[in-house]
Amino acid sequence: MDSTQIAEMIIAEIRETVPELAGETMTAADSMAELGVDSIERSEIILATMEKLNLKIPMVQLHGPKNIGELADLLLSKSAG
Amino acid sequence: MTYPVASPVAVTGMGVACGLGYGKAAFAKGLFETPNVFGVLRREGREQPEDETPFIGVELPDEPETLPPRLARTTTFPARVALRVLEEAWADAGLEEVDPERIGLVVGGTNLMAREQALAASRYADRLAYVPPRHGHMFLDTDIAGLCAANFPIRGFTLTVGAASASGAVAVIEAMRAIRCGDIDICIALGALQDLSAYDLHAMRSLGAMGSERFADDPGRACRPMDADHDGFLYGEACAALVLTRENFATPGKIYGHLLGAGHVADGSRGPEPDTQGQQRAAELALDEADLTAADIDYVNGHATSTPAGDEAELETYRALGLTHARINATKSIIGHGLSAAGAIEIAAVLAQIAEGRLHPTRNLETPLDPGFGWVGPEAVPHRIRHALKFSFGFGGIDTALVIAAPEDGEGRKS
Repeated sequence: MDSTQIAEMIIAEIRETVPELAGETMTAADSMAELGVDSIERSEIILATMEKLNLKIPMVQLHGPKNIGELADLLLSKSAG
Repeated sequence: MTYPVASPVAVTGMGVACGLGYGKAAFAKGLFETPNVFGVLRREGREQPEDETPFIGVELPDEPETLPPRLARTTTFPARVALRVLEEAWADAGLEEVDPERIGLVVGGTNLMAREQALAASRYADRLAYVPPRHGHMFLDTDIAGLCAANFPIRGFTLTVGAASASGAVAVIEAMRAIRCGDIDICIALGALQDLSAYDLHAMRSLGAMGSERFADDPGRACRPMDADHDGFLYGEACAALVLTRENFATPGKIYGHLLGAGHVADGSRGPEPDTQGQQRAAELALDEADLTAADIDYVNGHATSTPAGDEAELETYRALGLTHARINATKSIIGHGLSAAGAIEIAAVLAQIAEGRLHPTRNLETPLDPGFGWVGPEAVPHRIRHALKFSFGFGGIDTALVIAAPEDGEGRKS
């Protein structure tokens, strides 16, 4: 599992959670907030990705990333730890 | 007892959904044609093991989803139905030009999302860490009012009231009061869909409130309010919204009728047991407020659930009030018991009958428990309603009554 794969998982969850974005091209450089994903939806996407990674950590530890790629990096580091 | 005559409130818009379909047209048609809509409950989360008596009741027909998918996925079934019913009522009343701060909303019902909450609880039981954050608000009863105000320009206030099976009627009463106190000009009363889970259905049956063991193999005959063969209420999914308007407040909507008086009392019962004295007191308060007497009532829409104890107590109420001259029917015989929605959708039924100039049949009323009343049996009857009395009761000792007048009979008799 690398960061690129996790970013792809996040993007798949975004498409699932925000049907309007289902047909959009999204990359690791995109920020969820700028894509129009609201804060509850962002939490849902992150939690669903955490479940796929079998990762159990408090959501507060995931604050900070500016885009999907940074979030993927952080989730990867938490998974490794 | 004398009370000052309270100002009447007009009903200028309606939206409904029940087993007869979505919308006023399907509702009015079904009330008079009385097709059987009862069957085994099949919605996910209400299934029964094969070896147990199935739950009988009424479920809404499937309809194509009209909400945007992004919104639909965050809403419960009662919330989606509420939005749809509100949309109909809103357009019907023509509220587009009304100042949003002069519009309020009262939603009737509690524990509304029980079925989907039970499904979620079992789905996430072994992985609580991943419970969707959305579940922190979407199962709150107040989510319905929130969603309504997020999608319609309602900026006066929202309020969610609980009164068990009288919730819809209490929503209407609270909406009347809000208009009378002057804070707003329009108040929508919405009896929300009570989405029962298998757990709730079992409990209601164990309690002896819900039928039907007797007609398990013949669902169309199971719901029989005021009939000698009744054996309990039958659940029916329903939702209704009524737009209440201050009298003489100009809106484009037609006037369906006037709410002249209301009674809402506590009788001191905790559980399901009915109390005829409380019921009478509610009716007397409603009549006093309308400045009418029981002799002026020409039509009664009963609470009439089909439970043996409830029907008997209500008959005693009719006798004590002296309502033998009035025509009486039971809307639950056609659409089942909407619980939180019952009071609101049955008031809609009264208004639909005023508009039709006919009274709808009472399905399955073959052997009236007391033949000394003016029952409307299996056939509709022509009747011009002038003043109707509508009862709604709820577990926990809640008794309500409303006096509803035809559009041309909006003034109380003595005023």
